[in-house]
Amino acid sequence: MRVVAMIMAGGEGTRLSVLSEKRAKPSVPFAGKFRIIDFTLSNCVNSGIFDVAVLTQYRPHSLNAHIGNGKPWDLDRSNGGVQLLQPYQGRRDESWYKGTADAVYQNLNYIRERRADLVLVLGGDHIYKMDYAAMVEFHQQKRADMTVAVMHVPLEETDRFGIMTVDETERVVEFTEKPKNRDKGTLASMGIYVFNTDTLVRRLSENGEGNPRIDFGKHVIPSMISRDAVYAFPFEGYWVDVGTVQSYWETSMDLLNPDNALNLHDPNWVIHTRSEEQPPAKLGPQARVSRSMICNGCIIRGTVEHSVLSPGVYVSPGAIVRDSVVMNDTWIGPGAVLDRVIVDKNVVVGAGVRLGCGEDLTVPNREQPDKLTTGITIVGKGAHIPPNIRIGRNVVINADREEEDFPSGEVKSGETI
Amino acid sequence: MLRTLALILAGGESPALSVLTAERSEAAVPFAGKYRIIDFTLSNCVNSSIYNVGVLTQYRPRSLHEHIGVGKPWDLDRRIGGVRVLHPYLTSEGGHWQKGNADALRANLDIIADQNAEAILVLAGDHVYKMDYRPMLHFHEERDADVTLAVHSVSPHEAHRYGIVSVDADGTVTQFEEKPRRARSSLASMGIYVFRKNFLIEVLAGGAEQNIGRDLMPKLVQQTTVASYHFQGYWADVGTVQAYYEANMALLVETPALDLYDPEWVIHTKSEERPAAEIGDGARVDGNLLCDGCRIYGTATRSIIAPGVVIAEGAVVRDSILLSGTVVEAGAVIDRCIIDKEAVIGADAVVGDGEDNTPNQQSPDLLNTGLTLVGRSAQIPSNTRIGRNVIIRPRVTPVAFAGQSVVPSGKTIGR
Repeated sequence: MRVVAMIMAGGEGTRLSVLSEKRAKPSVPFAGKFRIIDFTLSNCVNSGIFDVAVLTQYRPHSLNAHIGNGKPWDLDRSNGGVQLLQPYQGRRDESWYKGTADAVYQNLNYIRERRADLVLVLGGDHIYKMDYAAMVEFHQQKRADMTVAVMHVPLEETDRFGIMTVDETERVVEFTEKPKNRDKGTLASMGIYVFNTDTLVRRLSENGEGNPRIDFGKHVIPSMISRDAVYAFPFEGYWVDVGTVQSYWETSMDLLNPDNALNLHDPNWVIHTRSEEQPPAKLGPQARVSRSMICNGCIIRGTVEHSVLSPGVYVSPGAIVRDSVVMNDTWIGPGAVLDRVIVDKNVVVGAGVRLGCGEDLTVPNREQPDKLTTGITIVGKGAHIPPNIRIGRNVVINADREEEDFPSGEVKSGETI
Repeated sequence: MLRTLALILAGGESPALSVLTAERSEAAVPFAGKYRIIDFTLSNCVNSSIYNVGVLTQYRPRSLHEHIGVGKPWDLDRRIGGVRVLHPYLTSEGGHWQKGNADALRANLDIIADQNAEAILVLAGDHVYKMDYRPMLHFHEERDADVTLAVHSVSPHEAHRYGIVSVDADGTVTQFEEKPRRARSSLASMGIYVFRKNFLIEVLAGGAEQNIGRDLMPKLVQQTTVASYHFQGYWADVGTVQAYYEANMALLVETPALDLYDPEWVIHTKSEERPAAEIGDGARVDGNLLCDGCRIYGTATRSIIAPGVVIAEGAVVRDSILLSGTVVEAGAVIDRCIIDKEAVIGADAVVGDGEDNTPNQQSPDLLNTGLTLVGRSAQIPSNTRIGRNVIIRPRVTPVAFAGQSVVPSGKTIGR
């Protein structure tokens, strides 16, 4: 049984604000040293799947550099291994990927070349540990044409998901995208599908008026339920969608909870990543660190409380980092105070800066009022924040801002630079 | 640059490192938490653009072989050149264990002769330093010497540990004394030699010298021109427990002489894939090196904490080196210890207890400064109090303590 995995990594992820401005969402750093896609890639190799295609489209450079030839996942193989599939120009047709199903359709050649019996379609933007081999086994046992991984979600949230209604054999009898009445049960699709290759090719190729094949969730799966044997594979365990700033921050903070269900230390299910070669983290005699995650290459001479620090972060003496996520190689100046902020890579926070200050967390960001309402301030990659400035809550500082882009003195809550 | 083959001598036993080399060669001893000592030499090679490297092994090579593998971390997994591990082997004429580092080179003359190289760079696998070998090779080429050796200034009090070199005005070596009782110079040989390839083959094939420093060099100084290359940077021979401890601890100062954070000279190692270090609520950590994958819920002060170490709530670790995967259970206290991999320190045990500084009775010359050593995978029972200069041998189980809850200073537990 030959299985190929196709990871959808082309989406823009606008809800992650500046974090996904310069990179695709799967390549956003997470838990200090990982990228979001590491979880899916590691699940593949830990499940014994070594034929993996990553479909990219939006800002792929960071992701391409991260995946490279697949060495960290032992996917640098002469037979199979990882392949990056980008949209390309052909002689007769050319097009960007219009959706997940269209992306797979444009790469049916890859599936044929790998002589795959089964195609595993995955999202690249979820944090979870899952043995796909168990799902493949379920798929075969049920003699299914297609299997969808599902999990129970709280009834009041069912209107955010694609909900599967199943019979007693776990066969899907109805699929409802975001049911408003919340009456279709609580089994939500996780966006993880196993297809028989024949079925997949047939369903994606029968294009025509009234039968678009752009998106799996919207078009392909609803049209298959009555015609094919579609089953639901129940998954239990840790699974989160970190697609919004709020859920990204909460999920990161949850990692610091001692009862957190995502065990990153399990030797039987290692999450692999492209680790930079960094020396151990160094804590100066003045350092105070509690309830935090610190990566190799950090140098800490100040105070870090309840925060996640990626490799190479420098915290100067007298600086305080609290309830924050700070990404690679950011420099935090003497006496600076960070509170409830997400700081992207290579940011310079000047001496004495107050980043995330003020008691009122509720003034929403004026340009992105739907994304930033809970007091999280976010700083884009490579921004330089001038010394001694006060920056409020729900502020967005875009990538690569220079010191002169800032007003003197204060940036009020809800502003954008 | 001269086409160069680097040969790293990593076969020695190094008994002065006690339990650390009980189950591995010195080159494979962990350093600064996540590295092995040989990483410095291997990284120096690739950072100096030398991609043809042999590692000569003999004593307890398993750990070293596992570490080097195909050489991936150093980009030495190559089709041309790359790293090869050279171990003693049997031939139809018999075969023998190598009796010293010169003998080891002699056993590999066939490989040396085969290489498309002009210079053979002989390196020690048990020193910690960052050195660009290219200027030395260039110097060797310019001087057109048969042999060039690298020298480093050492304290006259330490001279008895080294091969001491006397040089004339233009740096030609006039005398080489291995471990002299009274030194005539403070220039020590670093165990780094560049040989003209054909000269090395000629000398070794025609002789029976066992050791480069003791037997070969004093002879060559008489025979031919041996040039000296003075290296000024950081260099440490960590071949004794005390030197090993001090070199590790020196990394904790504000600006260490050995800069591991230099992006221009990265020290590569086979990193285990571990998540970020986790520091719990109520943990106190200051003045440490912490590696990925460690979990600290207690107190760690002025210590080196390797990957995967767990320090439980209420436990205190001070001025110590804890190697990978060691677990310190709740309430235990570790003071001035070197604890090898995967040891378990039981709850409320005290290791490095009291002021009594009685030297270790079995190795008084080695262990007399108050350091206590715990070997790999040793298990120390709960509530045990262990004094200073104590050796707990590898894989000791609670049975070896025979119910005694106090181990006085200077004792050794286990065979």
